[in-house]
Amino acid sequence: MARILVADDSETILLLLRTRLEMERHEVATATDGQEVIDKVDASSPPDILLLDAMMPCKSGIDALRELRAAGIETPVLIVSAHTEGGNGADHADLAINGYVSKPIDFDQLFAKIAELTNG
Amino acid sequence: MIGVARFLQQRQDYENATARSYQREIVARNRLAQGTHPTAARAAVISQQHQRQALRDEISSETRDTALLVGAGLIAGLTGAALLFTGLISSMRRPLEDLVDASGRLAGGDLDARVKIGGLSETATLGSAFNEMAEELQRRAGERDQLDRMKDEFVLTASHELRSPLTSVQGFAELLLLERENLSPKQAETVEVILDNTRHLVRLLNDLLDLARSDAGRLTIRPEQTGATGLIEDAVRTMRAQLDARGQQLSLEIEPDLPQIEADRDRIRQVLVNLLTNANEYCPQGANIGVKAHRAGAEVEIDVIDDGPGIPEQQLEHIFERFSRGDAGETQRVGGTGLGLAISKSLIELHGGTIGAESTPGGGSTFRIRLPMVIPERVEAI
Repeated sequence: MARILVADDSETILLLLRTRLEMERHEVATATDGQEVIDKVDASSPPDILLLDAMMPCKSGIDALRELRAAGIETPVLIVSAHTEGGNGADHADLAINGYVSKPIDFDQLFAKIAELTNG
Repeated sequence: MIGVARFLQQRQDYENATARSYQREIVARNRLAQGTHPTAARAAVISQQHQRQALRDEISSETRDTALLVGAGLIAGLTGAALLFTGLISSMRRPLEDLVDASGRLAGGDLDARVKIGGLSETATLGSAFNEMAEELQRRAGERDQLDRMKDEFVLTASHELRSPLTSVQGFAELLLLERENLSPKQAETVEVILDNTRHLVRLLNDLLDLARSDAGRLTIRPEQTGATGLIEDAVRTMRAQLDARGQQLSLEIEPDLPQIEADRDRIRQVLVNLLTNANEYCPQGANIGVKAHRAGAEVEIDVIDDGPGIPEQQLEHIFERFSRGDAGETQRVGGTGLGLAISKSLIELHGGTIGAESTPGGGSTFRIRLPMVIPERVEAI
């Protein structure tokens, strides 16, 4: 079981992710944009994993991650992207991204990645 | 009747007489020409002597002065012309050289190429015409680039916007099937239809997106060291259900100890799945499909083989081109965009590899991929 903060600007997709992750007995918190992600990450007890949509209005997942990393938060992160490659093809090597998940989501693959990050 | 006979006889006599006189005339003319006609020959000799004498007199008395004048004029004229030409050439050469140079640069894609206007009015006109043309070319190229960017941007945005609802549809349909025990068989079947069609839509969307990326030079790969065997088995596993659904046999022959290769796992799997999907869809029920892989020097060779209907020769040479499809009847049944193989080719080439096909109508098809174990330093952007 892991504590996961999930961010996506679509309520439907948040509902889908929450349902599937809770069925796998994870504890899920949600956010609908990058600012909410920053607000919800408590530096003293950050979540085990961040699952961030790369493209969200106002503040994207990438922008939020950049701020969190600058604040010294090293929580593992998976970027969910509508494109088959993450973050518009850019690598963001400086942001220590642990993996990319493309939409539509292959849940078996997602669960495997989460297991890998929480066990390692 | 008698009248007619006489008329004919008279006419015959007349014609004979005419022919005889004509023959005489020809003989006389020939003699004259050869100078053998006695009277004519004499006359000709006398006439020539007279003419020569007359000509000599004329030249000596009048023309000598004129010739001198003409000669002097000619020399002066030539000198002037030479001077004028030297001036002309030097004032034309520079602008013309500039034009040649600028044309070369323009043809080479340097749309900033312009010439300095100067020299004679003709070369100046030529120069400004060239500059106007270059200006127009640059303006149009700018418009085209902007349209291209807008198109790429549109495809990327549309793909993103379509992907979110598709993610929901596919995700919730899968969620329903996870609770299959609560569904009636009819309901479960309905959800499966929704899922199948959603996956098909996603495939179309991915093809269009790859095509747009390829056009924009943004089709990229993320290579990593990966076991070739696992990669092939992975693709085959993805396809197993679809092959079973058509009762097709799949045989897998992978050489033991196939090496690691430098490859983008997702992209190579995409290519293999594309080849297997084609085999699955174009081959009849119960067909035999095989995947063979072995090492060939510094490359790994992967064959996808089927014993299906084969590809006619005239189609075979075009199958890796965009929108190339099987014949109309097949196409209607199979669906797809006709982009799969074109994208597969681009992806394999990004890995520094090759893809080709062999087929005999009625005798099945073989698609062969060759992937280098290490991607060469510089692979041209596709």
